[in-house]
Amino acid sequence: MSQFFMAILIIVFGGFLALLLARQAKLMKLIAVFSLSAGCLLGVIDAGTKLMGSDIYTASFSFLRVFSLGFQMDGLSAFFLFAIFLVSLLATLYSFHYMDHAQKPLRVAANYFFFSLLIAAMALVVCSSNIITFMFSWEIMSLSSFFLVIYNYESAENRRAGYLYFVFSHVGAMFIFVAFGIVYGLTGSFDFTAMGSLTETAKYLVFIFSFIGFGSKAGVFPFHVWLPHAHPAAPSHISAVMSGVMIKTGIYGIIRVYSLLDFNTPVFGYIVLVAGVISGVLGVVYALGQQDLKRMLAYSSVENIGVILIGLGIGMVGVSEGNPLMAVLGFAGCFFHILNHSLFKSLLFMGAGMVLHKTGTRSIDALGGLLKNMKITGATFIIGSLAISGLPPFNGFVSEFFIYFGAFKGIALGKTAFVMCIFAIVGLAVIGGLALACFTRVIGVVFQGEPRTSAAVDVNEKGATMLISMLILAGACLIIGVFPGALIYMPMKAVSALGLAYGNIPLEPFYQMTGNITQSAMILFAVVLGVIALRSFFYRGKTIGKSGTWGCGFTQPTAKMQYTGSSYAGSILEFFSAAAPLTVEHSPISGRFPLKTDYKSRINDIAELHMGTLIVRPVLFFFDKLRWIQHGDIHLYIGYILLAIILLLFFI
Amino acid sequence: MIESVILWFLAILIAPFFSAVILKVKAFFGGKKGPPLLINYYTLIKLFKKGSVYSNSTTLVFKLGPIISLATAVTVLMFLPIAGYTPIFSFNGDVIFIMYIMGLGRFFTIAAAMDTASPFEGMGAAREAYFPIICEAAMFMILIFFYRLTGELQLASFFTGGNTLGLWNMAGAPLLFIVIAFFIILLTENSRVPVDDPATHLELTMIHEVMVLDHSGPDFGLIELGSFCKLFFYATIISRLILPFDFGVPAFGFALFVLGLFIVYLAIGVTESVIARYRMDKVPQFVLTSFALAFFAIIISLEFIK
Repeated sequence: MSQFFMAILIIVFGGFLALLLARQAKLMKLIAVFSLSAGCLLGVIDAGTKLMGSDIYTASFSFLRVFSLGFQMDGLSAFFLFAIFLVSLLATLYSFHYMDHAQKPLRVAANYFFFSLLIAAMALVVCSSNIITFMFSWEIMSLSSFFLVIYNYESAENRRAGYLYFVFSHVGAMFIFVAFGIVYGLTGSFDFTAMGSLTETAKYLVFIFSFIGFGSKAGVFPFHVWLPHAHPAAPSHISAVMSGVMIKTGIYGIIRVYSLLDFNTPVFGYIVLVAGVISGVLGVVYALGQQDLKRMLAYSSVENIGVILIGLGIGMVGVSEGNPLMAVLGFAGCFFHILNHSLFKSLLFMGAGMVLHKTGTRSIDALGGLLKNMKITGATFIIGSLAISGLPPFNGFVSEFFIYFGAFKGIALGKTAFVMCIFAIVGLAVIGGLALACFTRVIGVVFQGEPRTSAAVDVNEKGATMLISMLILAGACLIIGVFPGALIYMPMKAVSALGLAYGNIPLEPFYQMTGNITQSAMILFAVVLGVIALRSFFYRGKTIGKSGTWGCGFTQPTAKMQYTGSSYAGSILEFFSAAAPLTVEHSPISGRFPLKTDYKSRINDIAELHMGTLIVRPVLFFFDKLRWIQHGDIHLYIGYILLAIILLLFFI
Repeated sequence: MIESVILWFLAILIAPFFSAVILKVKAFFGGKKGPPLLINYYTLIKLFKKGSVYSNSTTLVFKLGPIISLATAVTVLMFLPIAGYTPIFSFNGDVIFIMYIMGLGRFFTIAAAMDTASPFEGMGAAREAYFPIICEAAMFMILIFFYRLTGELQLASFFTGGNTLGLWNMAGAPLLFIVIAFFIILLTENSRVPVDDPATHLELTMIHEVMVLDHSGPDFGLIELGSFCKLFFYATIISRLILPFDFGVPAFGFALFVLGLFIVYLAIGVTESVIARYRMDKVPQFVLTSFALAFFAIIISLEFIK
């Protein structure tokens, strides 16, 4: 594991150096970017080579003489490490030009410092082999990302987002503490492997508590409330890392706990699957209703976490039903989607970052026509959108194909599993359709048509490292979509590491599936080329005219008349209005010749809407009653301390 | 293999003819003579001979739209068993691929429409994005039904040789539901009345036709050909479903298949003539009917398979 620790050290060292060199802005950035990306590159290579073999690496250090910090890297860890380091590498590259205009070098340095901590902590989280190490890394991860979220702390909105994130990540951590506390209390061991020896009831409790805890990090509905606030607040390369890989550590936690509990009850699968379908559908519905580009992408992460959980749920149901093929297909689809989502979501966030960087606005309805001046950004964004909508020949299709296959295997099963699989399949179909609507809306309104406001006029796309990162990611989306067979061993290694007792999973049947995908992608390419040839044949020597868009008889169209993102989504949102109520603020029109009026509409997230009344208010009410404890009298405070010490003496 | 390729080619060639049958039926109901049955070929040839005018607002995506929409429609036909023959390509799971490849076509049709900055086309695009969501859910319901019967995810295992007849023998009654559900999906996906009216005079009320307002010349020809092929795809499936018989004599089988196609296109024509287009907010309910029908079919089939 020395190579892994080397990578971590280089990354953290780079972060510290950035702090030290904060005064020399140029040099600091150069060194930080160089060492962070060097560390990440080392990490990617290390994880990639470890995924080839199937050895388990362990290491442990004594900490404070009481605890031991244990690390373990198996196929599951290596798989997540690969995604974490890969996305962090490209995000670091991207940041070189993205952090260009930042006037405050100290803040940029702090950003790199916390960024390096975040990468290191994420890597350590997925390699921890005992509770102490895990929670230690987990907290570093939560705290460092908190500081990254409040990068632009001047804006009240960002501070609120940071606060919300802080509260959520700690309440979530509390649930994880409860789960791990049960483990420690019943077994007396900090080691992860102790979980297997729990009683059945305890296993149920541990799973449910950790599902809530990890689910809040992953952004599972209804614990996702922080996500659409925090992700847009951070700088775009951080959003890419947070949405691309950080939330996946929550998924990692769920999978790890599931695998350690080694308990084949169908209930776990059902919980995960239902949570997945709900997150998936509602996530994309809310994404469709967003007017902020980055917020919309954040909600789309909720959706993709849903898809990942559907795959995971299918796998779990397959295990409990004793159907190895269904189990492997479900898990493999889940892992594949984790990797794929980290690629296209970071690509999309980087594209959104470029838009924000050059236009200064995140409002979808203020933009338009960017594709003409931002060709690479636009093209890569379109590729990312195609991939995230699960369309062939891009990578999103591959993982959804696996999950569909697993779900269809479950159709032949008994009652509950059958119903669950129908639910999963229809859920996936609806998610796919909604995602298509959601992303055609963004492309159509942001990148196509005419600029709606002056912000979108005369933009450019400068920043070589930003463009390179996006091109690499877009290329990866296409290549994995066409040749998934080349990477199929990775998710399979992760599946083998789950300890399902299926022995060595043969890859041949899956190679056949991926081969079919490759073949059909090739057919599609051939046909497209054929049609292009046909088209150019028809256009030989023809006159091509240029003119304005046909306005159906209207001769003075303005850019303001274009269909807006809100109206595009309007009728679909109406269909889902029970889950996504719309608030409209509209000042009444008065007089015969009304001059000005305004119209505001907002989609409400029901989880956020009810969080206030169902959780926050009762908690506040309860603590309001306890206010008398905080009276400000120093004597009594000393009395409290004495009382606490005396009480504690009874327990020792 | 070679006959599959010939069939595929014939399908593309003949698809425009059948679409003209609908026009003839509508003309008959209107007491008119109607356009000749070869009208669509004349239109295509006319379009292919012309040049094009592009809007200043458009980008490369606008030109990609027609290419991808035709390419996807033609690719889909390669996986379709025509008249019970094995398709050119077929693999386990090709149905999912086909549905997503149609999604790809839709993505680019919508993107091309949004590229023009026209409010009308945006409106059409929004509807084109909306209704197929429900259609897709219904399609997957139908697929679950077929999977329940055959254990396969392959068009060839549903519609080649005696397979379709086998389905009827296994679960005839629920399959009737499926045929109706599939017909509703056909009407929706191909923008026919009562979901969309391709012949209306008002752009505001259209879906598919308004999205292609700015396309002209050969580009528009490609789109038209693509939509003929798409309709042919759905019609072929229904034709096979309603006349699944196989007599071992190729000529007879073909005659039966063509008869089935005529029935489907006649049914579309009759539907268009006797029903008015629904109000836009009623359309989802109509499409959901197909979902409900497929769902009932699955529930009923649970009894049959035991």
